[in-house]
Amino acid sequence: MKKADFIAPDAYPQPVSRGDAARISRALKSSGVLENGARVIQQSSPLLRMGVLDYVRALEQAVGDLATVFDKAHEIRGFAETAGLRATGRIADGLCRYLEEAAKLGVAADSAVVALHVSAIVRAAHAKDEASRMSDVVARELSALAAHKLAEAKTGLAAN
Amino acid sequence: MPGSALERLSVLIVEDNQHMRSLLRSLLNSIGIREIYEAGHGSAALAVLADKRCDLVLSDLSMKPMDGIDFTREIRQSPKSTNPFLPIIMITGHTEKHRVEAARDAGVTEFLAKPITAQSLFARIAQIMENPRAFVRCASYFGPDRRRKAQEDYAGPWRRSDDTQDVHVR
Repeated sequence: MKKADFIAPDAYPQPVSRGDAARISRALKSSGVLENGARVIQQSSPLLRMGVLDYVRALEQAVGDLATVFDKAHEIRGFAETAGLRATGRIADGLCRYLEEAAKLGVAADSAVVALHVSAIVRAAHAKDEASRMSDVVARELSALAAHKLAEAKTGLAAN
Repeated sequence: MPGSALERLSVLIVEDNQHMRSLLRSLLNSIGIREIYEAGHGSAALAVLADKRCDLVLSDLSMKPMDGIDFTREIRQSPKSTNPFLPIIMITGHTEKHRVEAARDAGVTEFLAKPITAQSLFARIAQIMENPRAFVRCASYFGPDRRRKAQEDYAGPWRRSDDTQDVHVR
């Protein structure tokens, strides 16, 4: 009895010929195409920024509803850096990681840690100097706080 | 890139965020792709695929009512699927291992992590075009071969240590 069928790429339809595929691949790695693509992202950043701010507003309104907080923070972390909001993305990433880790440990997320992250995301997203050193410091401090709370939770679990 | 094979490609973007859809469309336009369809979730994307020929899918993971994992599963396994071999790039910000593994096991071809860059997107498209994946069909899975690297120093017939029966290569 056979266990599996292994279907080689030549045995099913491909969208382009091998020659075209090689030409496409070369073109997509060329510096001109990459520079043009980077320019497209840069030009789209005001629009993307509006999208991030929509998520930030939804995040602010979701405090207390952890599932929605996670959803919105997740969207922000995926989006913010592309929109040029590096610090906002970094803080949102920290919040997502904290919530994921707390869920993995099976402990309740600390509401103060969540509220501080949400507040920092809101401030960073609206700050004129979003990528300032201060934003980096805030992101670092929040990350340290989240790590401390998770370590406390782990110690509590080990003691029980 | 006028005149290039990229102009003949058609791409489906499945993403619930209109700003991200718009960005992806602009990036695809910048490399010469003109035939682009959009859907806000998996069910809407399946409706597009029932009606239009697409060569490539760029899909978000988290969407409602049908997410990118169920959408991929439908493409790979549904008897109604018009092309079960369709290449799917899953765009995700999720770092949770179980979600990425679930997407892989549903039959995703490539992953693209958010935040996206032009370079990362174009590299995935180039990879899919130039090095199409072999497919595997067995009792529990149909989709791209989940093991990307062949062991060059191995010449035996088995693909896994517990393979004791035939593996049919087409």
